Amino acid sequence: MNQEYTPMTLKREHREIFLAWAVITIAGVLVGIYVIPWLMPQPASNTMHLVIITMQTFTIAAAPVAGLVYAVAFYALHHWRHPGTDEPPPDGPPLRGNTWVAGVWLVTSALLCTFLLVWGLAALAADDSGAASAKLTVDVTGQQWVWSFHYPGTEVSTPILYLPEGKTVTFDVTSKDVVHGFWIVQMGIKVDANPGVITTTSTTPDKLGTFDLRCAELCGLNHAFMVTTVHVVTPAQFQTWLHSQPASV
Amino acid sequence: MGSNTGRALVGAAATVVVGGALIAAIAFGVASAAPKQPVLQATPAGTIVVAGKTLPHYTLNLATYPDSLQGVHGASGGAHPDWVTYSNNNLSAPPNSAVTVTVKQYDTGGTPNNTFFANVIGTVGGTETVNGKAITSIDPNNVGHTFTLRGIPENGQEFFLNAPFPAQSSSAPNVVNIGKGSYPKPIVVTFTFVTPANGVYQWNCEFPCGDSVAGFGGAMSTFGYMSGTLTVG
Repeated sequence: MNQEYTPMTLKREHREIFLAWAVITIAGVLVGIYVIPWLMPQPASNTMHLVIITMQTFTIAAAPVAGLVYAVAFYALHHWRHPGTDEPPPDGPPLRGNTWVAGVWLVTSALLCTFLLVWGLAALAADDSGAASAKLTVDVTGQQWVWSFHYPGTEVSTPILYLPEGKTVTFDVTSKDVVHGFWIVQMGIKVDANPGVITTTSTTPDKLGTFDLRCAELCGLNHAFMVTTVHVVTPAQFQTWLHSQPASV
Repeated sequence: MGSNTGRALVGAAATVVVGGALIAAIAFGVASAAPKQPVLQATPAGTIVVAGKTLPHYTLNLATYPDSLQGVHGASGGAHPDWVTYSNNNLSAPPNSAVTVTVKQYDTGGTPNNTFFANVIGTVGGTETVNGKAITSIDPNNVGHTFTLRGIPENGQEFFLNAPFPAQSSSAPNVVNIGKGSYPKPIVVTFTFVTPANGVYQWNCEFPCGDSVAGFGGAMSTFGYMSGTLTVG
């Protein structure tokens, strides 16, 4: 540690930091490719596919930046740590005034931010575009501590949500009391249910099965039990189910 | 350096252990402070045929009061004698059995936040009886309380039951004296449901009969008044 900085020392340190950056970046990219889909719920709608690919893309795009931060941080903690009470060695030469480094940093950051912004706006636009072509609307009402669903044009209201596979559905979400969070876990749908306001979102279920619907806003005593089931069935099964339901008051 | 590092590691480990112990102590303290109420076990009542199947039959008798002078809170009404309450909150019944619940409803009411809960859902035949008359829904502008029972789907408990109880008229005379309380003639509601698989199911009232925000504070936001559990097993 009591060495003087020489061009050779700097070169070695840069080489080691670059190596650490490369390793961490590759690890981040692998996390984006393999770990993110494993961590996320199994997708059951076009929205969830979009959410997962967005998470992967953002993770991969962030990997080089995070890699640099972690590489410098870990290297500094490991190599430039000065134990004891004696005087530490002199610091290395500052990067201030290095136009090349500043330029690369600014341009890279700007490009990354622009890419993420454009991607995010495009993903939001794609997500919202479904509402116009929706074949089915469901009125969703949250209240302490139950969800209920009404199918407009019918007299059917249920505490369990049924949806047809492959049909775009629009949810008109509201609340009767406090703020709730309408969250269909495997479909990537999560919007607030606000009292007195209707919030619209849409998706297209693309997988048959049973999925989870939870409240995502802490809403009182039985918030943890404000859960129900979403059944995605074939369009024919959906029509059969719909016509078998009793009318509600 | 070695001893410094060792001391730092011991310090970090001790911090984690002490912090964890503190959090655990708080959690156990809060849990033990929760009211311990007796379990109302469903009473055997022979067998009953439901949808062509003969099932063991059980009964549960409950009541809803405009105060807490009855039921599990004791004759003095406990901590909040003026709070509305069910007579019992912790219920228990065997699985895959038909349970007939009889509720004596002594309280007034009004329009719930969501009239959906004026519908009878999940009972045998989709009906309940009110003073002996079978119905599928009650007047949505005259709901006293509801017994709304649900499972947790993630635990394999897809189950939902809603039984609404009509409200007493606010001008109904008090003709029934129970302990320190005086109440109108009860509205008697009965419904039968088939218990699901073993597990703990949550129930609560969906009529806003508590205090504060949207009527869901006070008795509605405190375990042991207008909510409870059904333990199946």
